[in-house]
Amino acid sequence: MSVEHLLEVRNLKTYFDVRGGVLKAVDDVSFTVEAGETLGLVGESGCGKTVTANSIMRLVPIPPGRIAGGEILFEGIDVLKLTASEMRKVRGNKISMIFQEPMTSLNPVFTVGDQVAEVISLHKKLSQREIRDRVIEAFRLVRIPAPESRINDYPHQMSGGMRQRVIIAMALACNPKLMIADEPSTALDVTIQAQILDLMNNLKEETGASILFITHDLGVIAEMAQRVAVMYAGKIMEAADADTLFGDPQHPYTIGLMTSIPVLGIGKKEKRLSTIPGVVPSLFKLPPGCLFNERCSVAHKECGHLEPPMIDLGHGHIVRCHKYA
Amino acid sequence: MNFWTRITNPEDRHPFFDQIEKLFKNRTGVAGLIIITLFVLTSILAPVISPHDPVENALYDQLKPPVWKEGGSTKNLLGTDDLGRDMLSRLIYGARVSLTLGIVSVGIALLFGSMLGALAGYYKGWPDNIIMRIMDIILAFPYILLAIVIVAYLGPGLRNAMIAIGVINIPRFARIIRASAIEEYEKDYVTAARAVGASNRRIIFNAIFPNCLSPIIVQASLGFGEAILSGAGLSFLGLGAQPPLSEWGAMIAEGRSMILRAWWVMTFPGIAILLAVLGFNLLGDGLRDALDPRLRD
Repeated sequence: MSVEHLLEVRNLKTYFDVRGGVLKAVDDVSFTVEAGETLGLVGESGCGKTVTANSIMRLVPIPPGRIAGGEILFEGIDVLKLTASEMRKVRGNKISMIFQEPMTSLNPVFTVGDQVAEVISLHKKLSQREIRDRVIEAFRLVRIPAPESRINDYPHQMSGGMRQRVIIAMALACNPKLMIADEPSTALDVTIQAQILDLMNNLKEETGASILFITHDLGVIAEMAQRVAVMYAGKIMEAADADTLFGDPQHPYTIGLMTSIPVLGIGKKEKRLSTIPGVVPSLFKLPPGCLFNERCSVAHKECGHLEPPMIDLGHGHIVRCHKYA
Repeated sequence: MNFWTRITNPEDRHPFFDQIEKLFKNRTGVAGLIIITLFVLTSILAPVISPHDPVENALYDQLKPPVWKEGGSTKNLLGTDDLGRDMLSRLIYGARVSLTLGIVSVGIALLFGSMLGALAGYYKGWPDNIIMRIMDIILAFPYILLAIVIVAYLGPGLRNAMIAIGVINIPRFARIIRASAIEEYEKDYVTAARAVGASNRRIIFNAIFPNCLSPIIVQASLGFGEAILSGAGLSFLGLGAQPPLSEWGAMIAEGRSMILRAWWVMTFPGIAILLAVLGFNLLGDGLRDALDPRLRD
């Protein structure tokens, strides 16, 4: 074992057997998350971000899903080889998850305090009183005011932002090494979104947990992540540290994404917002060669039939494009 | 978030209580609740309030009419049957039998039905197929016929009648809970529960089941009335409660040969059954109005 990564995903392939063929939702995806860093996983809807996250947590429903290949090494152990009960001890304890929908991710018939307590009691042998103290501590950590009384609230008594804080408190309750945040701010309005992102950045500093941050929002990624991987149609197209990716993107898809961010007040009036032509290919009918070639402005003949390899540009900057071969 | 042990003391009531409060604003529900309260009180206080021993024969007082008819007396307010037993006392003790029958048979149906339904709805696939096909087979039999078969096999008697009625009601509960479990299974909080490391059993009983309670309560209330009716039916056929136990269905059976001479022997137990079943059905409807989210205003 060379360098010990906290999480190393190697050639992960998650396929879904559905009527009409095999959906390659995640195809040959590799990345690492180091201790204490935030890796941003960015891409359009349906590109396989969430399936990647669910594969790590082994939450992909099998069938129709299956892990067709690859390894997911967490602290050097392949989570795909763990038994169901060993996996339960990892979930919520060492790796936890923050969900997109704060309105529906909490059970409506239990108080929020009891739901956080549930996570702790599943993984730690503690008395009722100790659990209660830890729940209050977790609420304090996520800056919920008056935690002693707020733990007695039902989800319907809380606002969306507060519920998302509860969900983060649940994720933090057992001091996990890795938090997987699947679009944690998407369902919130912009001011609350900013608060939640600030909170997550602070919590990362305070707890030292790594974050795998999944979003379609490049602005959010820029604020959160040290390293970024761009996914497209189930494959990673480009990965680099955040500064490089935003300052010097190499893959035509990444460049397309960067130029389609609207910038307030800059540019001439007649200049229209640039877009990437075409639509994401259907996972049923993936184009031959490079997955992006039909929409690519710099595609040449080779791209239409030969799949580009992952090319290392140095300093951890990798890109999947023939341009750099 | 265990359903039974909690670390928090909510200041606000459980959302369930708001729905119960709604029940109290519902007239049919309250009417049902009043009838059932009277029914339950009657069965609990039977030894105190019944004027006579329900099985005591009085050979000189046979087939006395109720007090308001010619020949009736205040000694037997609702008259006597062919053995001179006091009708009122027998009706009061009959409430006990019916209440026990309802509790036991609905209990059996609820326990097994909800477990099977939850398993089928949660695991889907082949467990679902096996469980629900067995339920379909049970439902395919005519209700009372299947009960007769079960009682014939186990032997007549109140206990076996209760078991039979419980068994034939299992599919109703199983179907309802399966449907709710499938619906709840898709909710995000179930995935969230799995993501924090909860086991399947815990997810079923701690996350999904408490969210399926409303339809279960409604079905239990309606099923209670139906169980009383079935129990009376079985007793009428001689397969349920055995003499001299005073059971309403058995009383109707005993009185049917005297319908022209002494109408009261058969009529009063009939009215008692009607009232009890009506009470549970009204309560069931009221509960449905209060608990069904689709009917909420």
